[in-house]
This record gives sequence, structure tokens and C-alpha cells, in this order.
Amino acid sequence: MAWIAQNRLQPLEPTRAEPYLTDAIKQKISEKYFPRYPTKRACMLPLFHEVMHTYGFIAPQAMDEAAAFLEISPSEVQDAVSFYEEFRFDKTGTYVVNVCRSLACELLGHEKILQKIRDVFGIDPGETTDDHKITVLEVECLGACEFAPCALINEDLHGPLTPDGFVKTLQSLPAEAKHDASTH
Amino acid sequence: MAYPGPVLLKRIPDDPAQRELIRYADYVASGGYAMLKKSLTMPPGDIVKMVIDSGLRGRGGAGFPCGTKWTFLPKDLHPRYLAVNFDESEPCTFKDRYLCEYDPHIMLEGIAIAAYANSITNSYIFIRGEYHKQFHILEDAVKEAYDNGIFGVKHPGTEIVHNCYVHKGAGAYICGEETGLLEALEGKRGWPRIKPPFPAVAGAFAKPTIINNVETLACIPYIVENGPAAFKAMGTPSSAGPKLMGISGHVNKPGVYEDELGIPLSKLVEKYGGGVKGKYKAAFHGGISMGVLGTDQFDAPMDFDIGKKYGVLGLGTACPTIMNDTTDLVRMTRNCIRFYAHESCGQCTPCREGSAWAYKILNRMVEGRGKTKDLDLLMEIGLAQGIMPGTTICGLADGTNWVIKTMLQKFRPDFEKVIKSDAVQGVEVTVGGVSV
Repeated sequence: MAWIAQNRLQPLEPTRAEPYLTDAIKQKISEKYFPRYPTKRACMLPLFHEVMHTYGFIAPQAMDEAAAFLEISPSEVQDAVSFYEEFRFDKTGTYVVNVCRSLACELLGHEKILQKIRDVFGIDPGETTDDHKITVLEVECLGACEFAPCALINEDLHGPLTPDGFVKTLQSLPAEAKHDASTH
Repeated sequence: MAYPGPVLLKRIPDDPAQRELIRYADYVASGGYAMLKKSLTMPPGDIVKMVIDSGLRGRGGAGFPCGTKWTFLPKDLHPRYLAVNFDESEPCTFKDRYLCEYDPHIMLEGIAIAAYANSITNSYIFIRGEYHKQFHILEDAVKEAYDNGIFGVKHPGTEIVHNCYVHKGAGAYICGEETGLLEALEGKRGWPRIKPPFPAVAGAFAKPTIINNVETLACIPYIVENGPAAFKAMGTPSSAGPKLMGISGHVNKPGVYEDELGIPLSKLVEKYGGGVKGKYKAAFHGGISMGVLGTDQFDAPMDFDIGKKYGVLGLGTACPTIMNDTTDLVRMTRNCIRFYAHESCGQCTPCREGSAWAYKILNRMVEGRGKTKDLDLLMEIGLAQGIMPGTTICGLADGTNWVIKTMLQKFRPDFEKVIKSDAVQGVEVTVGGVSV
């Protein structure tokens, strides 16, 4: 018999000296969001939108720092953050492509879009291209059914899509995403 | 029934090429915020009475009388909050997004009037995370409103300063459920709460809260301007007023259109949607949670009585998705159940487990491994979940229930065909020793 034990004495990700919640982020949240709500905890979603926008993923250390900043326990932060689709713990490519898979989009052929992406880029939903440029995800109704089948590339909506047209759009995306410094 | 022409969409041109965002200046130039000014000179109770008398029913899907909901707020308990439900995640629904993309101020004026009428301290507009472009538009519009004294000012005759904030969601259908929305607003996971207590008594941050849909609030300025009788003159006795209807699916001109409640679905599609592409087979008339209309039900009037007359849950969002006769309804059912299985928050066993089991059964059917008993099993699972059977905290499970129920009742032959033709009977597929 052999047990393969995982070393849990060390954190899964090494702590980095530089905080994820920079002074700039903390200042923005305290000035803009704290006054809006009776509790600091209510700033959870705005705070993590800021974290996602800055880093593209949420590290365990970021959640610990958020807990201290919002004056609640780390488990409460993880409880909330892990619930929401947009808050990701894994790193993604430069472009996150969310292809809608709900009724109107499946009715009008979203599977063909995904198959073409598979053929050309070699990735399934949930995977990232080797050059870290594109991550493809399936998402539920984007509320743009008149443009079915549709998809989001980062924050921009595209639709109605055709398999060839969308692949061309993805191939011609610049290497650097245009980054909007001010989020919310 | 007398429809005078666009009410909610009156500032948005029919021609897509002409449409652009209507900013504060243009909104005011076309009469905007005049009704707010008028409201501020009236006693708040009069405004509430006008809304009750107008017969305005909630436009988010449930159709609860708006004015009546406002009266549930306990007298003299402050602060009170208004949560605007802009979560709009019901599949096939996109009307609120369209309205705010071009005319955000119509909703903001409705919010300002409702806030005065109910002595609201903070209004929180809960917009879904995926509406990135609309979020920026809304933030700009709210700032314009603040700059022009619409928000951030005291309600006349009180010491209450009214503020309006935009709160961005992060991708969860269940946060469109009113108590799920409140939980997300408070910074927790969006698990719906059991009712009672109702939000009007203990809502956001345990304070009295009203939750209204975007479109419901957008109707308020019209009611103040033209009076309850004019509003009631549109629609039917049980369903007053105009309705935004977003048509999608197999139609020639998908998009958001407006007409009065009670318009037959077939007429709506013909008049605005450019007609069906191909031959009509079925339709989800108001988001998937309401269930499906059958092949002989295309003329169903779009009003709040549609539920009992046509064997569906209700009117819902009144955004129809039309499916023609090339549609594989078993696949579409699977699509809906996959949605519910994914979006189930997980609190209640009949929803969490039931939707997952239903999804597995439908997968089996789509892949040609359906068994005859699957249909009865599917029905049993569906009927057991929801607020109506009394087994879950919220109505997501009722959506699952009604999709399964209406699909099996109205299109049973489609399912039987899948089982009889490609069935690989007698082959058990197991995962980890358990038959799936």
C-alpha cells in the first residue's frame, strides 16, 4: 500500500511580496464604493471585478488580502467569489472568447462555430491556445438573441457569427488586447 | 385595446442605422424628466395610487402588480432601498439591454419617480456582468443624472438624500431571482432566501426593499404623464399597458419591438418580425422558463392570462423565440435543461440533483440511447421540483419543471421517435458502477 500525500504545509501558490490589492486598487474601492453600502462586504463584487480586470484571474493571496481589506474571514471571501462565473481562478489567454450556448444560439448554430474553432485553433471550450492568445469558453445566454449565434471577445459582443467569419476575426486579433485602464 | 404607438421605444428609431445613444440633453429636449418634475409636486401617496390604478404588472417575468408591491413597505421604517433588476439572464430575453443601450434615461426617470414615491434612500441598479457595454453606458447616464440634480438630492419634504448606484453582477442567472440579487448585492454568493420574510419587510441589508424590473420602472413616466386610464386603455383587462417583446430564432427580422399586451404571437411575428423563416413548429413565448407553445398555439395572445389558457407557466418576459419545423426539439429540451443544471445554485436537492439527472437522461436520448421508461422518469423528476410542488426555495426549478412538462405534453411524438429509431436497447452504460 502506498499513499501519495500532498504537501499541504506549503501553500499551493507561493506568496509574493508584492500585494495583489495595490494601494491604488484599495484607494479606488474605499473612495468610490465604501460610501455606497452599509457594509464593507457589499464591495465584494466591485473589488473582484477590479482584480479580474487588472490580473485576469484571482489568486488565493488576492482573496486573503481582500478578506483583510473587507474585514471578513478568507473563507467568506472564497465562498462568495467561487460562486460567480466571471471570477476565474485559472489564468486565461489574452482574449477570453465566451461563446453563447443557450437556446437561440444553439438553434442558430453555435455548435458549428465551436467546431470551426476546434478545427482551426485546436482547442475545445475551456482550453487556451499554446501561444496564450485565445481562451474559448461556453457561456449561457448573453442577452443578445437578435444577434444569434453570438460571442463575447473580452468585453466586445460579436454576432450574428458565421464559422468562417468568426475564425477570421479571431485570427486578426492584435497580440496585445486594448486595455481599458479605468474599469468601473 | 387602443395602442397609440411606441411608449417605451418612442425615442429609438425603427431604422437600425439611425439608432444612437440618447444622452441627457436629447432626452430632456424630447420631454424627458418633465414627469419627474411633475411628480415632485405631488404627494408621494398619489403617485403610488396612480401606479396601482394603472394596472401596471411587473415586466420581469412574474407579473406581480407593481403599485401593490410598493404598498408592502412598512410605514415609517427607514432607510428603504430600491433594487433595480437589470440582471436579465433568462435565455431568449434581451429587451432591457436594448432599452438601456439607447435610452437609459427613461429607466432612470422611472427610478427617480419611484424613489420619491416610496421615500427610498439608495437605489441599486443590479446589472449583469456580461453587459459590459451597457454597464459603461449606464454609468455615464447615472453621472449625467447626478450632474443635473436628478440623483443625490433630497426628496422634497424629507431629509432623505436619494442616491443611485450601479452594481455590476458577475455571471449568475440566479442573481436575477429577487432574493438572489439581494445576496449578490450584499457581497455574498447568490443563494436565494426563503420567503417570508419578504424583501419589502427585510430585503437588502435587512432593510425594507422593493425590487422592480427595468421595464416596469420605464413605464412610470408615461403613467404620470397620461394618467392610469390611458395606460389601462392599452392591453387587456388583466394585462394593461405596452410591452417590449424581443423576437429571436427562426424569424426574418429578429429584434426588440413594442406593442400592447394581448397581441397574438403570430401577429407580432408577422407585423414586426418579418414572419417565420420556414414553417412554424413551436415557440418559447416568454423566455424558456415559461415552457413551450405547441404547433396549434401560434395565435396565443401575449398577455398574463396565457398561462391558464395555453398550458404554460405564464407570460414571462414576453420575448418569443420561434422554432420552425427543422428544429430538433429533443436537442432544444436538452439545451434548456443543461442551462438549469448549470445555473442551479445548489441549495435545494430536487433542483440540484433533479436537473442534473434530467440532463443525463436527455443526453442519453440525444445520443440515441434513450429508453422508453425515460419519458415517464423525466416527467416524474420535473414534476417533483419547484415552488409550485413546494419542494424548493426559488422558482428556477419551476422553470425546469415547465420546460420538461410542456415539451413532453405537447411534443411527445418527437421524443418517442428518438427512442424508437436509434435506441440501443439493452445496453447499460455505467460510470463507476452506476448506470447512467
